[in-house]
Order: sequence, then structure tokens, then C-alpha cells
Amino acid sequence: MSRVIVVTSGKGGVGKTTTTANIGMALAKRGRQVAVVDADFGLRNLDLLLGLENRIVYTAIEVLAGECRLEQAMVKDKRQPGLVLLPAAQTRMKDAISPEQMRQLVGMLVPKYDYVLIDCPAGIEQGFQNAIAPAQEGLIVTTPEIAAVRDADRVIGLLEANNVRKISLIVNRIRPKMVQADEMMSVQDVEEILAIPLIGVIPDDEKVIVSSNRGEPLVLSEEISMAGTAFDNIARRLEGEKIPLQELEPVSDNFFTRLRKLFTSKLF
Amino acid sequence: MSADTNLEYSMTELTVTPAPEIIPNTPVNDSLTDANISTEITTNLSEPEKNSEENIEQINFAVLLPHQQVHLQTQDQRLLLILPLDNTEVKEEKELENNPENAGVSIQEIANTLDEITTETETPAEITPMVNNTFNNTWGEIKQQLSQRLRAGERFWQANTEVELVAFDRLLDVRQLQEIAEILGDATLQLKRVNTTRRQTAIAAATVGYSVEQSPPQTLFQPAKGQPLADPIYLQMTARSGTEIRHGGTVILMGDLNAGGSIIADGDIIVLGRLRGFVHAGASGNNKSVIMALQMEPTLIRIAEQVARGPQTHPNQIFPEIAYISEQGIRISRFADFSKLSLLPN
Repeated sequence: MSRVIVVTSGKGGVGKTTTTANIGMALAKRGRQVAVVDADFGLRNLDLLLGLENRIVYTAIEVLAGECRLEQAMVKDKRQPGLVLLPAAQTRMKDAISPEQMRQLVGMLVPKYDYVLIDCPAGIEQGFQNAIAPAQEGLIVTTPEIAAVRDADRVIGLLEANNVRKISLIVNRIRPKMVQADEMMSVQDVEEILAIPLIGVIPDDEKVIVSSNRGEPLVLSEEISMAGTAFDNIARRLEGEKIPLQELEPVSDNFFTRLRKLFTSKLF
Repeated sequence: MSADTNLEYSMTELTVTPAPEIIPNTPVNDSLTDANISTEITTNLSEPEKNSEENIEQINFAVLLPHQQVHLQTQDQRLLLILPLDNTEVKEEKELENNPENAGVSIQEIANTLDEITTETETPAEITPMVNNTFNNTWGEIKQQLSQRLRAGERFWQANTEVELVAFDRLLDVRQLQEIAEILGDATLQLKRVNTTRRQTAIAAATVGYSVEQSPPQTLFQPAKGQPLADPIYLQMTARSGTEIRHGGTVILMGDLNAGGSIIADGDIIVLGRLRGFVHAGASGNNKSVIMALQMEPTLIRIAEQVARGPQTHPNQIFPEIAYISEQGIRISRFADFSKLSLLPN
């Protein structure tokens, strides 16, 4: 039975699309059949992050209009056979599709895939309503900032009102140093306000920017990064494994640790 | 019970309280006064000569108060689902009566009045208000409120309890009734009866198969002087940002009120959790109302007509606190220090 999960946040720019791309890829790496759906009509980004932009021929709009079959619109990822993307239309806007149509699309995907991840647009208007209509579960992505947490709280209320019961929290872009210096909200602070179970914590990592621009999700690269490991862990927790949170405590920055880093880092 | 006579009643009728004193601000005693109210009404029924003008036909209707949001109430061992009054229709009719030209204020008219602001310097142009939408609940909002209320009382519903829907003058069609039945069904409750004053709603309900009780239309609820508070509601939920809980009585929230959420109550507000949002107690004007919270960190507090910001600096230790009106305005004290004696009116 397929799991339909919407990745949403309310606030824009907190990392929904990055999360969807990486978790989708991580699940596919573990052998699952995953379909990622871009619900951000007009401002689509999921194809960019997956590096599949120049392979899009048809979008969800053509599928709904009957101009092509669903299989023709799905973009298969050559790097990872278990992952497919259903792209959104860049030329249309959020009102080009209705919640009922979204349910139809996802209904067609459910029989064939283990996971259907829906990348939700920012906001709480038509785009959001479309994206949550077919969802059974929700992943709320937030950064540890007061504005993002406030918007996430609103969105959780809206999800609950739409009968999405299983909602989990991902705290993204956390900076352990700032948390320690009491300049940033901690994960516990966010959990206390939002009151939903935590499924993952992703540290702020420069490698995310690099991978986005290259179109290569972080979980695919050979270099192990903290953020990549975090996404991997979230995928494993979705599958039911119990994995403790990564240690994100900042290492004390004194002379000896810097000396050690000098010897262990790559010289070329 | 047949509905021959005109069911005309105003809210003053309900203050038939020679025996039980309704002390709205003692939350402990509220449940006791409820029981006393219903016995009062039954004695009235046995002596119809007493109230020749206002004939209380049905027990449940007589004690029902108009609510601002969806309300679930237990009445004589029946579970009633009371929908808020449909304010739009009422208001529109009244506006049409008073000012036929004003019927249907259009965007164009408002734009014209705004143009006048720039040209006329002497008299400030007025913005003609649209139909008053403060309490108007759209159908979507009603469904959301119903889901929220049901989830907030999840612990208490017994499976297959029968529900009677009280729709007052609201027009409901078959689809809307089925949606309500579905939402109730998710909480293992069954819609069995529909109580309405509108013929169309009665027909729709009968079509779907519910037993229907059609009451004659009431006169508009007139806020009378001795209007009692509605029964307190007890909700177990996290009131998230954007949630508004409105009630004509005391509100007891078992859970947090997050910033951006609000509770507006005619009675007291008791939050068994963190109070981080906006609260307004004594909304109808009772400045003896209080607000209690285990962790008081509100953005804004209002009691009756007074407003106050939440304190900027938080105490190091967190204690349950209570906000009340004193000569110096709204004050917050530790609940343990706040003498319970000062809650009762002198």
C-alpha cells in the first residue's frame, strides 16, 4: 500500500524542495519505488534540484488534459532507477489545477509506487490546498526561526483540519554553534511549540548549495556530509528504523583541534 | 411535541433563577448550576399559565443559546450539535429594509467613496461597510470547527452516540448534511435527528433519512440585559496559530494556545498549558472575568474593555498565574497567591 506524504512548511525557502529531492532519492537508494510530484505550478524547482530539467517533455497539466499518458510525463532518473518525477508546469499558475485533479493524479500513481512524495509550494492558498488534498501523511519542514515556526504552526493546524493525521517535524538548517550561544532556537524549543513528533534534524551545510546548483541531490554524492547523512536517516526513520539523532554539538574550536583538522583534511 | 404556538422567547426568560444563583465567574460551580437550570425549566412546563406570552415548547430549544461557532452540548442525555446562526441572511434583510439603496454594496461604490476622499477636503468620506462578517462562518469554516471540536473531545465520545443537529435558520442541502454526517462518523457519532426552522432544510434532511423536527421561526435573538452565560466548554487540543475559539461562556483548554491563536470568551478562560496567544475574557463586558494559565506568556490580554500587553520579561520560574482586573487595570498574580475569596462577588 502506497504512502502519500506531503512535504510542506508554510514559509518559503526553508528547504521543502531540497528535502523532497533528497528523501526521495534516499528512499530510492534503499530499493523503494518512489514518485516525487512537484505541486508548485508556475515556480517549479524540484526538477532543478534533481537535475532533470532538460528531460521534461510533458507535465502534469498535459496528463490531466489527456494530451499524453501518465507514463510519458514521468521522468525517470538515470542515476537511481527507483525514482521518478512528475513535473509541474512552469507556464501556468497555481489555479491551473484543482484539489480534485491532484487527487486523480496521485490516485494514478498510488498503485505503482511505494512512496508518493508531494513537494508543496509555500503559502496556504490554492497551491497548498491542491498539494495536501491527496495526502495521508505530512512532513513539516521548518528552520529554527520564529517566523518559520509560526507559519509551520499555522500549517499544522490546516493539515489537521484536512484530516492529515500523521504529521512529523523536520528541523532544517540548524547551527549548533549559535544554539549553544543561545542565539538560535534549539530543536527542543521548536518541538515545544509545534508539539508534533520529530523525525529529523538537518544541520546548515554549505554543501547543500553546491549540490542544488549542480542538480545532484546530496545523498548521491560519495562524500559523506552531515546533511546527507541526516536525509538518509530520515528516510530510514520513515521506513520504521529507530535511529538516534546525529551528534551536532559544535566541536570546541581551540588550537589542538585545528591542528588535528589540518592533518586529517585533504591536502589537494 | 407539536409546534402550533409561536415560539417566541427572549433571553431574559432564562434567568428564572430564584433558587440557583448563577455566578459566572466561579468555574468550579458551573456544572452544578447547569443541573439546576434544567430542573427549573421542567417545573415551568408543568405550570404553563405562568408564562402565557413566552411558551417554552421544547425543552432543548428553550435552553439553547445562540452560539458564535459550532457547539456540542449535552442536553437531557441527548448530544446536540448546534450550528451558529446564519448571520448573513439576517443582516442582509435588515439592510434592505433600512436602506434599499444600500442593498448590495459593490466594490465600485466603495471605490467611489475612496475617490471622494481626495477631492473633498471638508467632510471625511466614509467607507460604506460591507455586510458585517465578523461572526459569519462559511460552510468550510463550519466543517473545520466541527472537526476541531470533535477532536478536542475525542476522549469523551462513546461509539454510536446519537447526535441531533440544531440548525436554527440555516439553509442546508443534502450534500451539506451528508458532509456533517461524515465528519461525525469519523468520530464514531451518528447523526439521527435534524432540528430546524427552515422548510428547505427539513425537506433535505427528510430526503436523506433523518427524523426531522421543524420548529416555527423564532424572532431574532435580542441581547437582553440578564443574558446568562452559555455552559463552559472543555477542549483538549493544541490551539494552533490561526485558530479562533469563540464561546459565550467559560472556555477551559487542556493544551497550549500557540502564538497567533486566540480565545474569545464571555466568561473566564482557563488554559491548562502554555498561553502564548491572544485571549479576551469577559468579552461581553463582565470585568470580573479572569484568565488563568499554567504558563502565562500571552501576546495580548483583554478582559472586558481593558487591554494589556503580556509582560516582556518572563519570570525565571514558571508558576500558574491568573490575570484579573484591579483598580490599576489588568494585573497578573501567581495563582497560589490569588485568594479564591476575591473571585466571588461581594
